[in-house]
Parts: sequence; C-alpha cells; structure tokens
Amino acid sequence: MSAVCILTPLVVAAWPAFSAAVVAAASSLGYQVVAGETVETHTTTTQTNVVQLEIARSEVVTSQLGRDQRIIVTRNGVTVTFSRDVRGKASLCVTGEGQSKQELKALGEELSQTVVQQYVFQKLTDEMRNRGFVVVDQEVNEDRSIRMKVRHWEN
Amino acid sequence: MPQREFDITINKDGSVELHIKGYKGRACLEAAKLFEKIVGETQSESHTSEFYEPEEEVRRHLDQSHGL
Repeated sequence: MSAVCILTPLVVAAWPAFSAAVVAAASSLGYQVVAGETVETHTTTTQTNVVQLEIARSEVVTSQLGRDQRIIVTRNGVTVTFSRDVRGKASLCVTGEGQSKQELKALGEELSQTVVQQYVFQKLTDEMRNRGFVVVDQEVNEDRSIRMKVRHWEN
Repeated sequence: MPQREFDITINKDGSVELHIKGYKGRACLEAAKLFEKIVGETQSESHTSEFYEPEEEVRRHLDQSHGL
C-alpha cells in the first residue's frame, strides 16, 4: 500500500444523473417514486410537519426548460420532494403527518446521504470503466458502506 | 505491465476512503489526483513506507547500475 486518502464528495450533476441517484437511494431504503419530473402542489394540514434540507456541496446542472424538475418519493406516510433550488443546489422537502420535525429531519438526512453515496458510486463506476479499471470485488457492508476492490494495469 | 490495486469504500454519507496499492514513490499521487477529480476534495492523505521507496524508473536504473 502506498497511500490512503479520504475524499469528500462534490455532487455536480445534470438532472438525469441526479434523479437516477435519487431513485437508486430511495429504492434501497424502501421508498417508492410517486412522480418523476412533474410539478405537484402539496396541500398541507395543520398536523403535517415540513422540513426543508439541502445537499451540501451540490450543484444540479439543468437546462432552462428543466427548471421545475423534481422527483417525489414516499414511505410510510413520509413524502420527500427533491428539487433544484434557485442557487442550483439540490434540496429536499420532507413532509409527514404524525412525525416530529426531528424525525423528519433524520429521515431526510438519511435519504440525502444515500443519494450522495449512490451518486458517487455511479460516477466512480462509470469513470473507472471508461479508464480501463476492472472491479474485481464489490460488496455492501452491514453499515451500508459500499466496498470495491479495483485493479488497473499500466503500460 | 505493473498492476495497481485500489480498495475503495464509499461510506454511507458518500465520503470515500481510498487505499492505493502497488505504487512505489510519488507515482501514487497521480492516481490520488485522478480519484480527487472524480469524487471531490481530499480531506486527508497519509503515506505508507512504499511511498518513500524509489519510483519504478529510478529503481530500474539503480538495479542496472548495481548489476542486479
């Protein structure tokens, strides 16, 4: 071994790549996608709590035509709407009846972290394949981290 | 053809632990830069003893000059 690095991810993605990561993350946590790339208006009641979060170090690149793109996922009465805010950051709105704001925040953070993980996994896999790297082993650990062993032969 | 090996762990928060193996000397820094370009910023970096060994090209010259 010659070096060990810890890297902090930057999410700079076009909407299709970002929404693919949302779908993969949502599926892995048992959420269902209820609408993709469609604007929906939510009616809220007094019992419904709402928490707004953003994905740090993210930038969702989109065309002028796709400014209102969003993707909505649900699980057990909790609805999470992913969209791109005016600054281009990926944001999510978590709503749920009978859930405290702290619970919704925790659920939103779990989901947004998984989105980042899935985005990094997909980007790494694609970029390494393009550069001739070979994934020889891959597994998901109990703590939900993804481990890959990759080889590359240099001339 | 030298084989390089990379142990990659993508943590559940998306941070990446990268173990680079098979390089002698500073050549591994180029590989680290490639992953930085793909993933994001380097938060920390540590080197093992192999990092301080002569790079392959230097080592070949050394071996030749010593008749190895």
